[in-house]
Amino acid sequence: MAQRGEEESDEFYVRYYVGHKGKFGHEFLEFEFRPDGKLRYANNSNYKNDIMIRKEVWLTPAALRECRRIISDSEIMKEDDNNWPEPDRVGRQELEIVMGNEHISFTTSKIGSLVDVQSSKDPEGLRIFYYLVQDLKCFVFSLISLHFKIKPI
Amino acid sequence: MAASADPEALDFEPEEDDLMDEDGEASPRGPPPKLRSAITGGSSQSAPRKTKGRGFREEADADRNSNLKGREFDSLSSTGGRGPQRSIEGWIILVTGVHEEAQEDDLQNAFGDFGEIKNLHLNLDRRTGFVKGYALIEYENLEEAQAAIAQMNGTELLTQTINVDWAFSIGPINKRRNMNRRGHRSRSPGRRY
Repeated sequence: MAQRGEEESDEFYVRYYVGHKGKFGHEFLEFEFRPDGKLRYANNSNYKNDIMIRKEVWLTPAALRECRRIISDSEIMKEDDNNWPEPDRVGRQELEIVMGNEHISFTTSKIGSLVDVQSSKDPEGLRIFYYLVQDLKCFVFSLISLHFKIKPI
Repeated sequence: MAASADPEALDFEPEEDDLMDEDGEASPRGPPPKLRSAITGGSSQSAPRKTKGRGFREEADADRNSNLKGREFDSLSSTGGRGPQRSIEGWIILVTGVHEEAQEDDLQNAFGDFGEIKNLHLNLDRRTGFVKGYALIEYENLEEAQAAIAQMNGTELLTQTINVDWAFSIGPINKRRNMNRRGHRSRSPGRRY
């Protein structure tokens, strides 16, 4: 694949946030992969009795490498959020990635379904974002739920 | 597509909009890149990074910025250092390089010999519906997981070479960053926060 040149020793950082502020306060889900291997996960949904879930665990280099592979394969670093829907009152997503010499910090609104993707001004780029976010969430939820035996959402 | 003229973008958080609203491509002169969560403590890299995205052009909202900062996070007690970290109910290994058409049975057959598999996550690629390429497997006992890693790492599963390793560690990844370079770099500068 085109973008596989990154060295493993390069800096690597990922953070994803999705949330909104509404009548239940600030409800959000956020996770990050830090270069030292720490995976942090926070989820605040207030209709579940105000419980804020905050978990952290160290990943092995192998697990961090797999996260990196998922991102690298997606080719998200080639995209740009210029023409994506802006965050609004319904919600906000942020994806920040440092990989090698590149640093992206994308923001957009919540995306309900592929229909939103198709009707946007940049369906191809937004589709990459849309699927990457789901794949990353899936990876994180598996890690967190296996390690802590909780349902992360 | 005729409808795309309507600029709904304009009413985005007007009350926080004390930055000049510069419309445009990835701004080379925007604010210096920094990680919004401020957790990694900035970068010690010498080469400037290429930055891209609206996230660099917005003022982080104070509330938002603190989600992952500072406060207490639960973790299973760990002492730091090296070695695998036990999870609540067992030991988790990560299999990578898994063939996209692999089935749970394939993993069950390959990894079931080392002990009872308490949990198996074989996640799918959300776009293609095929296997994403990794599997997480839980064994109850350390020895079972250890044996699976020792005997399965580097072997072939459905024509692809798989790598098998621990998923969790008791401490941070040791980045030999100061050892392999000539000259000495000062330790990363103090955090901004």
